[in-house]
Parts: sequence; C-alpha cells; structure tokens
Amino acid sequence: MSELSVHKSSGKSKGFIKWLKSSKGQRATVVVTFMFIPLVLLFVFTYLPFGKMVEFSFFNMKYIGKREFVGLRNYIDVFQRDDCFKALKLSFYYMGASFVQLALALYFATLLSFKVKGGGLFKGMLFFPYLICGIAVGFIFKFFYTRGFVLDSLLGFLGFDLEKLPYWLKDMRINNISLAAASVWRYMGQNMVLFIGAIMSVDSEMYEAAALDGANYWQKFRYIILPSIKTIVVLNLILSITGSLSAFEPPYVITGGNFGTGTYFVIMDRIAHQNMKVGLASAMAVILLIIILFATLLQKMFFRYVFNDGNEDSSKKIAKKMAKEAK
Amino acid sequence: MKLVKKVLSLGLLCILAVSLVGCGDKKKTVDTEKEQVSEKGDGADSNSSTLKTIDQIKLGEDYKDIKATIKFLTNRTDLVDTIFADYIKKFQKIYPGINIEYEAATDYFEDITIRLTTDNWGDICMIPTTIDKNELPNLFVSFGDKPSLDKEYIMLNNFSYQDKVYGIPSTGTAQGIVYNKKVFEKAGITEMPRTPDDFLAVLQKIKDNTDAIPMYSNFAANWTMTAWDAYIGGSATGDPDFMNNGLVHGKNPFSKRDDMTGPYAVYYVLYEATARGLIEDDPTTTDWEGCKGMINNGEIGTMVLGSWAVTQMQEAGENGDDIGYMPFPITINGKQYATAGPDYNYGININSSEENKIASMLYIKWLTEESNFAYDQGGIPIKVGAEYPDVLSAFDGVDLVIDNPAAPGEETFFNDINNESEIGLNVDNYHVSQVLEHALTGDMTLDEIVADWNAKWSKAQEKFGIKVR
Repeated sequence: MSELSVHKSSGKSKGFIKWLKSSKGQRATVVVTFMFIPLVLLFVFTYLPFGKMVEFSFFNMKYIGKREFVGLRNYIDVFQRDDCFKALKLSFYYMGASFVQLALALYFATLLSFKVKGGGLFKGMLFFPYLICGIAVGFIFKFFYTRGFVLDSLLGFLGFDLEKLPYWLKDMRINNISLAAASVWRYMGQNMVLFIGAIMSVDSEMYEAAALDGANYWQKFRYIILPSIKTIVVLNLILSITGSLSAFEPPYVITGGNFGTGTYFVIMDRIAHQNMKVGLASAMAVILLIIILFATLLQKMFFRYVFNDGNEDSSKKIAKKMAKEAK
Repeated sequence: MKLVKKVLSLGLLCILAVSLVGCGDKKKTVDTEKEQVSEKGDGADSNSSTLKTIDQIKLGEDYKDIKATIKFLTNRTDLVDTIFADYIKKFQKIYPGINIEYEAATDYFEDITIRLTTDNWGDICMIPTTIDKNELPNLFVSFGDKPSLDKEYIMLNNFSYQDKVYGIPSTGTAQGIVYNKKVFEKAGITEMPRTPDDFLAVLQKIKDNTDAIPMYSNFAANWTMTAWDAYIGGSATGDPDFMNNGLVHGKNPFSKRDDMTGPYAVYYVLYEATARGLIEDDPTTTDWEGCKGMINNGEIGTMVLGSWAVTQMQEAGENGDDIGYMPFPITINGKQYATAGPDYNYGININSSEENKIASMLYIKWLTEESNFAYDQGGIPIKVGAEYPDVLSAFDGVDLVIDNPAAPGEETFFNDINNESEIGLNVDNYHVSQVLEHALTGDMTLDEIVADWNAKWSKAQEKFGIKVR
C-alpha cells in the first residue's frame, strides 16, 4: 500500500516537472515569479500593517508597555469625543478645493493637448510641484504666506495695501482656504497629466470632422473631449474627494494644526504620538476608512444615476439611442 | 521613446541591485552579532549582572583592547558632523577598538518611541519622556545602584526605577528667560522683573521705547511651546515635590493662586503678553533658525527658553555679549527659584551584545566626565563638583530646584494622568498653543482654559483611583 502511494507521488512530481517545462507551465512560472516580489511588498507594507492597526484598535495600548483588550471601547470613545468629527468638517474646504483643482487641470490639459508653443515646457512646469515632497511643499508655503514675504509683496506690486491684507495663516476665516490652496498647487499637475493622457487617446479624426462642420474650440471640448474622457474625470473626482477626507501634510507642516486647522489626520497623529493612545488613534483610522469607503460608494451611485455611469462609452450611448429611434 | 524606456529599465535595475546588496549587508551584520553572542555565551553568563557599573569602570584602564562598533541615536542633528565627530576622535585615542556611528533624527521624539519597540534599534539612545518607568528594566541596561551613583552624578531621578539607574543625563538645564541686554538698556529697564506683572510691564516698555519684538513666541516650531511646561514646577512653586507628587495628587492644580505662583502664573505671562500685543505680529509664521540671529541683533527682547538655548543665541551673530539669562519672574515668599533638570538621558540597549554594552558604557562615562559637553553647551554638568558655565551666573541667589522622584509605587502615575487627560505636560505643545490662540482670538479667558484642564486632570485622577489631597 505504502509502496503504491510513494510510486504515485513520484509520478505526480514527474508530471509536475513536465508541466513546468511545457509552455503553459513556463508562462505560469514567469507570472508567479514576477508577481511574487510586488505582492510580497504589498503584503508586508500595506496589508500586514493594516491588519495590525485593526488589531490595535481593540486594545488600550501604548507603543511600549502592556496591552489591555477593551473590545469596542475605543470606537465608542471616538464617537463620544467632540474633536474628531468636528475636524471632519474641515474636509469641506479641501473638497471645494478639489473641484477648483480638477477644473484647472481640465482647462490646462485641454489647452496643452492642442498645439501650443512651449507645450512640453509648460507641462513640465505644471507637473513639477507634484514631484516635490509634501514636507518641502509645506515649508515653501510657510514662507510664501509669511507676513511681508512672497505673497504679500506680490500683492503689493499689484497695488494692494499691505495693511489691509489678512494674515493668511492666522486669520481663522481664511487660513483653511490658504492651506487648501497649497494642496491645489501641489496636485493640480498630476490631475492634468492624467487628463492629457486621456485626451491623447481621442481619435484626431474626430477633431477634423468637427472642424469641417465648423465647430469651435469650446464645442470640440464640450462634445468630443469631455464625453470621451468622462471615465477619467469621474475617477479623478472620486480620488480627490476621498483624498480630501484624509488631508494631512499641509496643516501638519504649515500650521501644525493650530488656529483651527487641525484636520482629522492631524488630531489622530496627536492622539497616537503625543498622548500615546495608540488604540484610540487606530480606531479613528478604521472609522475614517469606513467613512471613505462609504463616500466612494455614494459617489459611484451618484454618478451612475445622474450621468449614467462614467464607464459607459459615449459612442455606445449614441448607438443605443439610434437603435431606439429606429424601432 | 525607446531611449527613455532603456534609461528607465536601467534605473530600475540599479535600484533592484542596490536594494539586494543592502539586504545582503544587513544579514551579514546580524549574523556576526549572533556569533559574538554565542561565543560569549560559552563562557560566563551573558547576563547584564556581570557588567561593571558605571562608577566602577576606570576610563583608560579597564577593557583596553575591547573591539566593538556601536550605534548612537541622537536628536542633535546640528552636532553630528562637528562636535560629535571630534569626540569620537578623542575617545578613540583611549579606546582605538571602539567605533561609534551616530545617527541623528530631526523628528527624534516621535521616531525613537516607535523604534524602541524593536530590539535592534542601536546601542545608545536618548531616552524619550514617553517611556513609563516600569518599562525601563525591559529596555535599558542598568548603570548601577542609585545610592552609589548619586555620589558621582546629579539629576538621576527621572530615569531611575526601584533604586536602579537606567539613564545618565547628557547635560542639565536651568529654566529661565533669554533676553537681550542692549534692548533692555534702550527700553530704560534698570531692575530685573520678579513677578509676572513686573515682567509684562517690562515687555510693554520694550514695545513703547524700542523697535524690538518684546517677546518672541516661536509658536510655529511647536516644541518651543512645550518648553513653557518646564517652568510650572520649580520656577513657579519652589517645591521639588510639585511635579511628581503635588501635581499627581493635587486638587485642581492649574487654578489661580492668590500670590501669583504655580502653573497659572506661568501661563498667565503667555496669555497676557499675547493679549496685550507684546509678541510678534504673526505667530503662525515664526522661524526658529531665524530667531537666533534676530535676538542677537537686538530685534527681539526676550524668549522663554531653557539655558541650553543661550549658547546657540550667542553664537548666532556678532553680538554674543548682549545675550543674557534671567530667572522666570515669579517670586515665592520673597525668593526666586528656577527649575533645573536633566536634558535627554543616555540609555543603553538591553538587547545589545556584551561587547557593545561595555563599549557603550565606556563612551557614556567618557561623555559625562571627560568630554566637557555640558559645560560647552552652557548646561549644568552632571558630574558632581564640576564647574558651572558663566551663563548661569545670573542665577546667583536663585535656588535651583531639581524635581524629587515620585513616591515608591507611584512612579507611573504622572505619565498615566498626563496621557489619559491628553493635556500632555512636557510632551505635547497643544495645550500651550491653545493658550496663545485663545489669547489672540479672545474667545476664552485663561480662567476658562485652566478650568477645562482641571476638569480633564481630575477625571484622569479619578480613573486611576489616585488619592486627591
């Protein structure tokens, strides 16, 4: 009996080696070996820490020292604190900014995808801020907004009275707008490049046809470009809005969360690293994740019902319409 | 396009290769470390009990042929390439076999807390204040018994637990106020202020009579706001038991006292100075590196910082002699006091190999006794009987108050309450920054702010069942 099973297994392994040598097997080996490293990295640096964080959120713990299991206590605490959800209100500033950002990106992308003198240079210059690290951007804007520095003297040249200018970071009516503007400056270029990529895939014959029909630039944009890149616009919109829920770098570096600029993330950071309530901060992170998932879902549904989903090709839609009319 | 692709793939290849090489290297060092440990393990116990305590070691006589490479984590990014490099050279004249690698971090405080959760963060670090006392034996090597070390060094209270010392201070600081003598002269100030209201009057005079900023808050740097907490103990009460016992067991410890002492008086200075417009125009855009030159040139009147700051301000320009130091303006029964305490403490990794532990101990002893580090930095030397730097001459007649340790069994109480209440004395700038913010916007009085703190503090005391006296 045992002999038989040994025989069988060796037969199996032989079969396996044979399979490995076949083209199908080789393809599989290549796929597995190429996937292995990125998957390991993804697991080690994303899913493992995430799992740990979810675990932490059920404990009353510091980084060093004993841990005590407290069940859902941390989650209840998050909802009972008044500072956490108040901080989420600041996200509206960043959401508003993300609309401005997308509009600007779309504008520049459309301009630059036609023939423009020095187009490459402009593309590079607009994309450049995205390449600077967030901390450096923070420091740039700290000096930019300092009283009597860059922005003030710039406005001074334009004839503004320095005395009447507000304190960009101190005045609590506008300091969140100042910070959101910094984030627009940084991410606009990235959106623009994505849009340019999408616009490039539009068949140029369509422009020619439109030109023959006497369409102007606005009409070309409205009826050719926008419908064909709807998918990418919707994607960018979703990314920007969910991103604005987790705004962190500008307030953390520029104002340190002072003067009413502490976003949800800044408060989370303080609770975890200064007050050593790691469990509570983890619970906050999990709750934010759920909020973001929920927001994404809502947006998806919204776009599906209002715009009949960004995923659908405009040509398909027209074809459908025509088919209907033909009936 | 093809060229770009080629270049890209070449770049990727390089990155991969480098990261692979990096991995290999790390493994190697780990292996050698393990070997060392196992070699040692054959002979005597590799337990820390065989280690000589720091007071028994004789520099230049013991362990002359020891060979080790130790890693030193530090917060002083500004000194690594200059002063510390020089120290290594000097130290290696006595111990040529010991190699020291410094690693400095700008965001040291947050970094180190997380890194300490692993075993192999290095050999020596500056112990952060976030560590609870009962965790010290699990993380750091003991330098010796407290009673015997007390004869050699001062300020050992902060990182001692159950009569063992786990941290040796790098330098001590006295808490006072940095000021510019010329600005004071120009403003017509002849007498040093001794009470909060005197001090505010002085600031007002500076504002009226000179162009200087009376008090520079350094608000934007955040940690400079945390520095205000250093004054609420010794400087504000004259009581060495206040921080670890008075605050822990105190009923509403932040409330106003009739004689204008205690924590309230300290924050009162900040609140009133801000409300009366005696600080800089826009606190959100202050510049820490820039302020050093400004006070040196007489553009700033005063700054509330520990004595460690004085040397830096003096060296920031040509008018070093103009920089003076004075005690915090609070008078208790006719006498002035100043909080004195250790700066960061050195700690040695309990998981390091035996050689590295010994080498670390030797280097720390050398730093404390031979390097003159504390004196050169304008701090209080830790070695008993060492000479005090000139900066502190302004403190003649002022009693230096060093905090007493907490009562036995209550070592963790202060951290417990401090974290639970989320006030974060000496840890977090948030509560101090709030004082300035509310003073500026005028939406909360100082009494309302401290009432809020008292409520949080009391709630935390109650949670841990701490007796309130």
